[in-house]
Amino acid sequence: MRLGRAKVATFLVCFSLACAAPQLVAKKKEKQAATSPTDPRRALHALNRLTFGPRPGDLQQVMSTGVDQWIDLQLHPEKIDDAALNARLEPLRTLRMSSHEIAEEFPDPQEIRQVMNGKKSMPSDPARRAVYQVQLARLEDKKERKEEAGKNLVATSAPEKAPEKMSRSSEARSAQSMASNQAGDSTGAENPVSNSGSNGSMSTESSDTMNGGSTEAAMAPVVPLAMTPEEKEQARLREEQLYTDLEVQQLPSLPPDQRYRKVLAMSTQAQLTFADSLKGGKGQEFLQGLAPKQKETLLAMNNPSQVVMSELMQAKLLRAIYSQRQFEEVMTDFWFNHFNVFVDKGLDRVMLTSYERDVIRPHALGKFEDLLVATAKSPAMLFYLDNFLSVGPDSAQALGLPAHPGGRGPYGMRYPPRPRPNPAKARSGLNENYGRELLELHTLSVNGGYTQHDVTEAAKIFTGWTIDKPAEGGGFKFDPRMHEPGPKLVMGHKFKAKGEGEGLELLHRLATSPQTAHFISLKLAERFVSDDPPADLVDRMAKTFLKKKGEIREVLETMFYSPEFWDDATYRAKVKTPLEFVASAVRATGAEIDDPQPLVGQLNRMGMPLYGAQPPTGYSMKAETWVSSSSLLNRMNFALALTSGKIKGVTVDTAQLAGSAAVPPNADAALSALEAELVAGGVSQQTHDSIVAQVAAEKNSSPQKPNGKSDPRKPVNPPRSPDVCAIAGLLLGSPEFQRR
Amino acid sequence: MSITRRVFLRNSALTVVGTAAVPGFLARAAMGAAAQTGARTKRLVVIFQRGAADGLNIVVPHGEAQYYAMRPSINIPRKSVLDLDGFFGLHPSLASFQPLWDQRHLAIVHAAGSPDPTRSHFDAQDFMEAGTPGLKATEDGWLNRSLRNLPQPGQKTPFQAIAMGPSIPRILSGLEPAIAMNNVNDFSVGGRTAKPSAASNAFEAMYNHSTDSILHGTGEETFDAVNMLRSADPSKYKPAAGADYPKGRFGDSMKQLAQMIKANLGVQVAFADIGGWDHHVNEGATEGQIANVLREFSQSISAFWTDLGDLGEDTVVVSMSEFGRTARENGNRGTDHGHANVMFVLGGPVRGGRVYGRWPGLDQSQLYEGRDLALTTDFRQVLGEAVLRHMGNKNLNEVFPGYENQPGKFLRLLG
Repeated sequence: MRLGRAKVATFLVCFSLACAAPQLVAKKKEKQAATSPTDPRRALHALNRLTFGPRPGDLQQVMSTGVDQWIDLQLHPEKIDDAALNARLEPLRTLRMSSHEIAEEFPDPQEIRQVMNGKKSMPSDPARRAVYQVQLARLEDKKERKEEAGKNLVATSAPEKAPEKMSRSSEARSAQSMASNQAGDSTGAENPVSNSGSNGSMSTESSDTMNGGSTEAAMAPVVPLAMTPEEKEQARLREEQLYTDLEVQQLPSLPPDQRYRKVLAMSTQAQLTFADSLKGGKGQEFLQGLAPKQKETLLAMNNPSQVVMSELMQAKLLRAIYSQRQFEEVMTDFWFNHFNVFVDKGLDRVMLTSYERDVIRPHALGKFEDLLVATAKSPAMLFYLDNFLSVGPDSAQALGLPAHPGGRGPYGMRYPPRPRPNPAKARSGLNENYGRELLELHTLSVNGGYTQHDVTEAAKIFTGWTIDKPAEGGGFKFDPRMHEPGPKLVMGHKFKAKGEGEGLELLHRLATSPQTAHFISLKLAERFVSDDPPADLVDRMAKTFLKKKGEIREVLETMFYSPEFWDDATYRAKVKTPLEFVASAVRATGAEIDDPQPLVGQLNRMGMPLYGAQPPTGYSMKAETWVSSSSLLNRMNFALALTSGKIKGVTVDTAQLAGSAAVPPNADAALSALEAELVAGGVSQQTHDSIVAQVAAEKNSSPQKPNGKSDPRKPVNPPRSPDVCAIAGLLLGSPEFQRR
Repeated sequence: MSITRRVFLRNSALTVVGTAAVPGFLARAAMGAAAQTGARTKRLVVIFQRGAADGLNIVVPHGEAQYYAMRPSINIPRKSVLDLDGFFGLHPSLASFQPLWDQRHLAIVHAAGSPDPTRSHFDAQDFMEAGTPGLKATEDGWLNRSLRNLPQPGQKTPFQAIAMGPSIPRILSGLEPAIAMNNVNDFSVGGRTAKPSAASNAFEAMYNHSTDSILHGTGEETFDAVNMLRSADPSKYKPAAGADYPKGRFGDSMKQLAQMIKANLGVQVAFADIGGWDHHVNEGATEGQIANVLREFSQSISAFWTDLGDLGEDTVVVSMSEFGRTARENGNRGTDHGHANVMFVLGGPVRGGRVYGRWPGLDQSQLYEGRDLALTTDFRQVLGEAVLRHMGNKNLNEVFPGYENQPGKFLRLLG
């Protein structure tokens, strides 16, 4: 019977193994499914959601790394090397400067005014000095014209003005060269060309001589017997202008260093002319070959803050397209949008660089409360939402009392509150903008259960949160004199009076509130899952948020490892915003950008100017905002222009697009190759057929051009008889490519 | 020379005053214009002055001594206003509005606007466009909602609702399809040519056959519009004689809008906006910032009116701004955010040549919160009349939910 028992035992073991086997196999399959090299959809989905779009080769790379491992790596960007991107960002110096340095080198109109009024001295550094000089000259012109005629005033500190409107130097110049209405300015500018016969004195060495001896000859018959002083002055100014224009025209012929030094040494008048020639992105010939700092200085002569904004926008595009830390960039974009600041409001023009670099990006994958506090204290936010001006109605400043936190005197006695002089005036000192948006947009959301009274109380808590020397790019400062004394009551909680600590306490309560947890989770899910994400998922994310004390990475992991995220319904559920569209199109084609500025312009036209959302709500991430006739047409036209090389500054290597290896024998094969390359996940049959039909129609109507007309740069036997560029353009404009 | 109200001739008789070119007119008839069916397309054009326009310097209460007392450096002197009725006068830059006033096509509503106390540009614009002041949860716009129950004179076209700009603003967001048009000349794929480009055809096929619900829907609308635009070719409708549009974005928008209306594209509601009104500093008076933008504003609108010619009979244009500005000037020769404002109403059926609404006065006790012009006419009262009596939409409670729409209390701006 021992044998029988052994048999039974063996049988039992085998049996249990057999039972277990399916489970074991299933587990192995599951693990394989997550990391299987044969499951591209998962990898594609991950790429679509965590990056700005797949590049050629990305799919294979993610599949061989394993999707989960790849996601984990992206969630820890510090582990990813980004040297190539940093090399691209190298010339954009302002990216590395503090707000203070930026404000010094790229002065705000307020700064210039201070110099004009003698409150500050001109900088000694020649580059900076040149910038100040030109801006000063412009400001003085405006002042002159205002005083003279009061015509066509231009306010230089109105917050909503667009940068192009800021510098009216052509008007400034015309004012300079005429005491009264004379059309001498523009026509005068043209004359010197014909009068340049007197080249001798126009030589490049002397930059400061305006009244060379040959002027009389150049000006020919300007000799009424007795010129009035005004006429003499006008004549003199006209002469100046002639010389100036000539000088400027000869600049491009100089080698870069010499050219740069020459501009710095020019008279202010000449520099003004020069600065004008750089308007609207023109005058590239003047900037060729200059070092980054030199370029910035010259551009700053035209418009200082424009230089800073331009570099910021270029950097954003370069990062979105070339960074290896893709997910970090996506999250930086997400949080910037959540804590939106409009770039074109006054001092924000020069404060946003630091805001994104020092406040948003470092906390993008950290703790929500840290991010919240950092934004609350950031000069950019304090300025944008006017909190730096907010003064408590009973504060020391409003009542003219000496500063004393808590309103108590040295021996614990209370200062008797003086009657408010003017209720309306006192009330207007308190600015509720930040208090309201903090509750409505940053934390609890509009349905968070707060009242107008709560908003007012919150605003009182934040009085005193201000900026130290804002025009100089200073940092956060708590000013007790501006702070509203006494306890406050917000949403049923009493905040004891403790100065700056009240704000930190409120921020802590908000950051740990269930409403905030839900709101943040909802926004994340809207961006990464779908426009109308499953409520259950959002709830679980909110639970993680509360449990893990606002650790964003934990919330993201709950989302990325949820079944809802990988559900079929989520695949390609989101429509790309213009930024996502442009970035993904450039990434998909592997294009090379040597000048991001034209792409920045494209985004303006598509209605999504970078850093350009005026209201604090930021840009919507939902399809309905971005799907309109105008935007669709823009996308189609952009796609066609991109692939046919019509977007300046961007080069698409069409040879590489069609696949370097095999030469596609016909349109269909070329199309399939391109589909695989460009549109991750492929296109629908309808799209495929539409393109095929169109290419066939084209082929029938216009036979291949004879070789005599072909571009000599192209190989003699062009392997791509179907137009690769056109097909690529059609694919990038297809409905499938609009989704991610 | 007496200035009489322009007389519109009905049916297909040619009129004398500022008509479009004759061929275009006949072309409209040939395309089955609504004129033939007897019920003509009514049009409502909404213009938004973004940035809080200074109503007190636009339609100046020159009869108020307080006005001059409160604005020592930025007032419009009595000798400079274009007097309207002995109490109010137009800012001189609005000279092109004068004939419209004299012909009694232009009406003014003063001390009008939104009752919500917000002084945030963004919130106030949002409230005014959504049509629900104080309520942030409204996602669509009143102008879009107004399309929902219109009596249909003819077929709905892709151009029933146009927003001149790069995207659909809140006011036109909603269930009804609307087109955003930044520039009619760019509204195509691969350039405006007589025949569609190859790429255009390919895209059209793609989007028409796509199973993607959102993109298919908008794609189809878009190509319908592009094709309709191509065959109608609005660019051949040159501005009528005397329609001198000023240079600039707003003038361009109005010119293109007129083209599309004349090309009989079925435009029922349209929207355009003009910025540059937020004069906190150096507002100027008879000259300066506000004078410049008012010139652009009025010249564009009056050129539009002249350009429409005959079609003005069925068109009503309404202007608004999110709130007005402080009655007193501030320390920077400008004004800050205020409350009530001025609205212009221009059109064929408008009983113009009058300033409507109750003037609250500018004494300290009469000001809103002691600083702003007080509100006596809700903007929805003005718009409601246009929507109900001009456009024919009887469901005002859907267009302006939460408001006590009372047709009996209309100002009777429309005849």
